[in-house]
Amino acid sequence: MPEPPSRRLPRRAVLATAAVALSTALTGTLSACSSANGDASHGVTLTFTWWGNDDRAARTVRAVRLFEKEHPGVTVRTSSGDFGAYMQKLATQAAGGGIPDVAQLDYRQISQYAGGDALLPLDKAVGDDTIRTSEMDKELVRTGTFGGTQYAMPMGRGITGYAYDSKIYEKAGVPAPEPDWTWQEFAEANKKIAALGLKSPDGRHVAGSNDGGTNEDVFEDWLRGRGGKLYASQTRLGFTEDDLTAFWTYFDDQRRHGAVAAAEDTVQADSTEWTPIGRGLAAADFTWDATFPGYPALLGDQVRLAPVPTTDGRAGNYFKPSMLLGVGAHTSHPKEATELVDFLLNDKRAGDILGFTRSTPPNRTIAARVAKTLKGPELAIYRYGQTMEKYGVDAPPSAPPRGDVAIQTAFNRNYQRVMYDRASPREAAREFIDEANRELRS
Amino acid sequence: MTTMSTDMPARTEQTEDPRPKSARRRRREQQWPAYVFLSPWMIGAVVLTLVPMAVSLYLSFTDYNLFDPPHWVGLRNYTEMLTEDPRYWRSVGTTLLYVVIAVPLKLGLALGAAMLLKNLGRGRAFYRSAFYAPSLLGASMSIALVWRALYNDGGTIPHLLDSIGIHTGGWVGNPDLAMYVVVGLTAWQFGAPMVIFLAGLQQISPDLYEAAALDGAGRRRQFVSVTVPMLSPVVFFNLVLEMIQSFQVFTPAFVVSNGTGRPADSTNFYTLYLYERGFTASHMGYAAAMAWLLLIAVGVITLILFRTSRSWVFYADEEGR
Repeated sequence: MPEPPSRRLPRRAVLATAAVALSTALTGTLSACSSANGDASHGVTLTFTWWGNDDRAARTVRAVRLFEKEHPGVTVRTSSGDFGAYMQKLATQAAGGGIPDVAQLDYRQISQYAGGDALLPLDKAVGDDTIRTSEMDKELVRTGTFGGTQYAMPMGRGITGYAYDSKIYEKAGVPAPEPDWTWQEFAEANKKIAALGLKSPDGRHVAGSNDGGTNEDVFEDWLRGRGGKLYASQTRLGFTEDDLTAFWTYFDDQRRHGAVAAAEDTVQADSTEWTPIGRGLAAADFTWDATFPGYPALLGDQVRLAPVPTTDGRAGNYFKPSMLLGVGAHTSHPKEATELVDFLLNDKRAGDILGFTRSTPPNRTIAARVAKTLKGPELAIYRYGQTMEKYGVDAPPSAPPRGDVAIQTAFNRNYQRVMYDRASPREAAREFIDEANRELRS
Repeated sequence: MTTMSTDMPARTEQTEDPRPKSARRRRREQQWPAYVFLSPWMIGAVVLTLVPMAVSLYLSFTDYNLFDPPHWVGLRNYTEMLTEDPRYWRSVGTTLLYVVIAVPLKLGLALGAAMLLKNLGRGRAFYRSAFYAPSLLGASMSIALVWRALYNDGGTIPHLLDSIGIHTGGWVGNPDLAMYVVVGLTAWQFGAPMVIFLAGLQQISPDLYEAAALDGAGRRRQFVSVTVPMLSPVVFFNLVLEMIQSFQVFTPAFVVSNGTGRPADSTNFYTLYLYERGFTASHMGYAAAMAWLLLIAVGVITLILFRTSRSWVFYADEEGR
C-alpha cells in the first residue's frame, strides 16, 4: 500500500486529536448543562451513596425509585462504588464539607465523621419518629452514637463467619465446624486438607484456608475469645505486643507448612474472585455474613457458612452494625433526607426489595418477614445469625476511635512483612503497635 | 522545574541595550498586550499554584485531619517523619531505587529508538507516532490496569517467561518483582524523550560525520566522539525532566498495588505514601510536610545535576568562541 507523504500524516493526526478533544469538551459541557436544568425543574434533589456489589446496587435503586414515587417532587440521585474507592471519595467529600445528603457509612467512620461535624445529629428525627426505632434492638441503635448523640442508623446487623468448601472438608475427614470449634481444631483441619495434596486448576497446592494474619477482624475474634479487645479507650490499644506476636506466629507457622494460603495469594485477595478459595487455592476463607453469598455464587452450593473458631468455646465475634446510614451535616433538605433513611429502614416494601443485601435488617419485623421468603445463601445467613444469638456473643464495643481506618490497613501491611520474610512476627508487631499509637495520639 | 531557570539570567543580562531611552520607553508601552495575553496564565499561577503552595506550607506545620481546623504543631510532622516513621525511609529507598533504574532505562530506550529512526526514510512518521503513542496513553488508569493484568498471576508475561523456562510466578504478588512492573510501564513510555532526541540528532551537522569518516572513524567511534558530545545538551535536558517526573511516579504504582503499596510495601513509592497519609489516614499536615521535603529533595538533586553538567555537557557554540 502506498504511504501518504510523511509530512501530512502528523498534521492529520493533530487535527483528528483536536477534533476528538473538542467534541469531548463540548459533550462534557452539554451534559453538565442538561443535568443542571433537570435539578431545577424537579424540586428537591437528594444524593444518596453506598458501597457494595451489583446486586445491592440494583435492589437499592429499586427501593429508591419506590421512595420517589411516594414523595412526588423528590429526586434521589444515587451512586455506588467498591468499598476502597467509596471510602476515599467520601473522605474527600467530607473534607470539602459535602458529604452526600444520605450516605452509607462504616462503623469505623462514625467517630471520625461525627467528631468532625460532618454528620447531622439525628436525635430530633428519632425523637419525633421521623426515623422509627421501635422495632430495632436498642444496643444496635446505640452503635450509631458518638458522645451520646445519635449520628447514624444501623442499616444491617452483621457478624464475622467462615466460608468453607464442605466437599473438601468431607474428603479430609474434618467435621463441619460447630459454634464451639477452636483455633486448634482450625489448625488441625488446615493441616489435614493440605495433606490431601489437592491441586488447583493451575496446578498449585490447595491449602486449608486463607491466611487470617492480614485480617484485623480475624485478630479481633481471636483476641476477644481470649478476653481481650482491640481498644481500651478512644486513645489506647486494648492488647499488647505479646498478644499480636502470638497471633501472627500462629498464622505464620501455618503458612510455612502450607496449611494456609501462600503470601502472594493472600495479598491479592481484593474480591471474592481473587480470594484463595475463589481461585481454587484453598478450602476456606474468613468472611462477613453479608459478603458470604458471593462464595456459593462463584463456587457452588458446597460452600457453606460456619462460625469462626473460638478459644475454648468462647466466641470472639459479635453483632456489629454491618453498615450505617448517616445524613450529611450540610444537607439542604434534612426533612427529606431523614425520611429516606426511615423509608429504607422501616418501610415493609423497601424491606422486601432490599432483602438481606446488607445482611440481617435492623428492623425485627422486617427481618422476620423477609426471612420467610429467604432461600439459599441468604437463608444460611439468617440461620447463622440465629445460631450465634442462641450460642451467645458479647455486646458490640463502642464505635472504634478515629485512627481506626489507618490502623486497620497498617495491620494488613505489617503482617505482609512477616509473610514475605521481611520481619519476624515480633518485629512486625512492635512496628504495628508504634504506628497504631501514633495514630491514636493524633 | 523552577531550578532550571537559575542559569539563564546570567546569559541574558550580558546583552545590555545600547539604544536611547525613548526607544526603550516606546517598547515598554507596547508591552501591555503581552501582559494581557499572559494574564490567564498569571491568574492561574497565583490561584492554582502559589496560593495552594502557601497553604500547604502552612499545613505542613499543623495537624490537620480534614474535619477539624488545623492545629499548629510546629516541626513535629518533620521530626516524626525523619525519626519515628520507618515507612517513610522505606518509601524514600524504594523511590530512589526506582529513579536509578527507570530513568537510565527509559532514556536508553528513547535514544536507541531515536538512532534507529534517524536514518529511516519511508514510514518514519508512522514509527515515530507508534513509539510516541504510549507516552500519550501510558498515564491513564486503564493502561495501568492492562499492564497489571499482563504481569499478574497467569498473565501474559509470566506465561511467556514460563515457556522459555524462567519461572517467576505473578510479578504483582512478588515484592522483589512488583516494582519492575512499574519500571516497565514507565520505560515503555519513552516516546517524549525519543522525539527530543530525534530533534537533537537531526541538529548534528552531517559534515561532522563525514569528517570523522574521512579520519577513519567507524560507526562506534562516530557515536562516541561525535554523537554523544553533540547530543549532550539534549541528554541533559531529558535527564533533568525524566528525573523530576520519576520522583513523582504515582498512577502505575497506585494501580499495580491497588493503592496500598503492596506487597510488603515494595511499591510504596514516596508519592503513594504521601497520598495514603493524606487521604486514607487523614493526616493532611503530615502529607504536606512530605510534599515539601520532596520538593526540596528534587530541587537539590536538580541543582547538583546542573552543577555537574558543566563538566560533561558540551555546547557547540561555546566551542566556537
